[in-house]
Amino acid sequence: MKAIETKLLNKTYGSTSVVSGINLVVEEGEIFGFLGRNGAGKSTFINMLTGITRPTSGSFTILGVEGPDERMKKHIGVMPDYSTLFNSMNAMKHLKFLSSLSGKPVSTAECRQVLNQVGLENAGNKKVGKFSFGMKKKLGIAQAIIHDPNLIFLDEPTSGLDAESALHIHKLIGSLKERGKTVFMTSHNLDEVEKICTTIAIMKDGGIVKSGTMDELRSYYRSAITVELKHGPVPAGESHNLYTWLETAGSELRKETGSTSITVGSEKRIAEIIRAFTRCQVDIFRVEVNEPSLEEMFLAE
Amino acid sequence: MKTDTSKRALRPKELWREIIMIAIGKREFISMFKSVKSIIIIAILLLTSYYSAKFSGLLASGIALTEKEMADIHTVGLLILLFIFGQLFVMGLSHDSINKESHERTMRFLVTRTSRLQILLGKFAGAWLFWFTCLVISFLVIAIFALKFDFFIFSQVMALLTFQIALTILLSVAIPKPSATMFLGIVIGLLFPALGAWLVFTDNPWFSWLKFASPYYYLMEDTYQFLIIFGLAGLLLAAAALIFNRRDF
Repeated sequence: MKAIETKLLNKTYGSTSVVSGINLVVEEGEIFGFLGRNGAGKSTFINMLTGITRPTSGSFTILGVEGPDERMKKHIGVMPDYSTLFNSMNAMKHLKFLSSLSGKPVSTAECRQVLNQVGLENAGNKKVGKFSFGMKKKLGIAQAIIHDPNLIFLDEPTSGLDAESALHIHKLIGSLKERGKTVFMTSHNLDEVEKICTTIAIMKDGGIVKSGTMDELRSYYRSAITVELKHGPVPAGESHNLYTWLETAGSELRKETGSTSITVGSEKRIAEIIRAFTRCQVDIFRVEVNEPSLEEMFLAE
Repeated sequence: MKTDTSKRALRPKELWREIIMIAIGKREFISMFKSVKSIIIIAILLLTSYYSAKFSGLLASGIALTEKEMADIHTVGLLILLFIFGQLFVMGLSHDSINKESHERTMRFLVTRTSRLQILLGKFAGAWLFWFTCLVISFLVIAIFALKFDFFIFSQVMALLTFQIALTILLSVAIPKPSATMFLGIVIGLLFPALGAWLVFTDNPWFSWLKFASPYYYLMEDTYQFLIIFGLAGLLLAAAALIFNRRDF
């Protein structure tokens, strides 16, 4: 079943279009990463799917139910962006209150278990108002999963967390996937998305410019593979021919003594370059292939 | 993984949870008792009930009253207080019951978990229960002196308070800023009884028809027409629900 499917989803405020005609499918069991610069429309898109805002036009289904529909709310967990928690409650009461709103009241033991999962095992009786930013972030994740939803929306789940806490949350997200849950998350931490997400979409100016698995995105951006060769001296008679051919084989050719780098459009070219060096009797000591990282793809957009 | 989102018959416990959002109502009810404002208002209500009932004999001896008025003399102090300041009290306590949640963005946790109608009804139910409790205690204090609990007058006052709570909820939904509703709450709280009374008694043909929208009109006579006030409150809540459904948070 599709966890999320949107068709031409739009949101406009007055004459400003914030989300424009998004078609997206997220399969169940995926960890879906949603990337985009500030103001790209990521949060508005999540807000429409979770009932925080109403779409201007278009349609969407959540876990097979056409939205917006109240029935889906019991099956989704949401950690919205920039949300303040109920500061007058302690963490335990916070979780109990919100789980009862979802129609799935939880016991104290279940609350403790979820607090343990997010790394707040000793903070159950502490007032939320006295929590640090990182603790609030963790409680935000805890409240999103307390009622055992099938689809979890996390808006910037690790921003502001220290490396250890972020790693803890990554493991938690991984364990949610293992339990068959679908996670839809936004992040500015591109390494994080690359590491834990199975599918990624890049959003720009209210629309999705590219989506797919990491491999699919890489193959789309393959035009930017950089090959760097460490090699021995090039025989004087071969130098002109070799470098003339290299100029036609790729772009951004850089020649230094004992080292050549070039940007090529396909993996096939890498083999051709190595063969060209070998034909010219040049010893190759090392070949480094730099594929574009998610950050580079993101910045390219 | 399968997700059962199909419609099925609800068990009684689930049905109750679906009809009235108990968790929201309970939270609203308890939080209202915790504020300083509510403690002051409860103290005013109880002191007025106690002293007006205790010294009702003095009042009765000073003016000519009908037999019916004599019978109700113990509740006069409380009734005057609530007729004049009831709206101000309700506005003072609940003017930000909805918009504060939107302003502080805690509303996002509510709307992603339950329907907007249930949030509205939960808020309304919590405030209504608070005033119901306060009024029951006040009438019990009066009953010590009057030796009776006047259910009819109690119901009339509760009808008026129901209207006032619904109006306050509507204001809190329609105006997003809590600071604006605080100011408007004071203005409306002070104008409401004066305007309501004027509408009931005015002969001005342009405005006199508006008396049917004033709850005071239905409290003029000791008949069950005060039940219409609950209908008016329902209309206010329906308007609030309509606006609330269109809100983005």
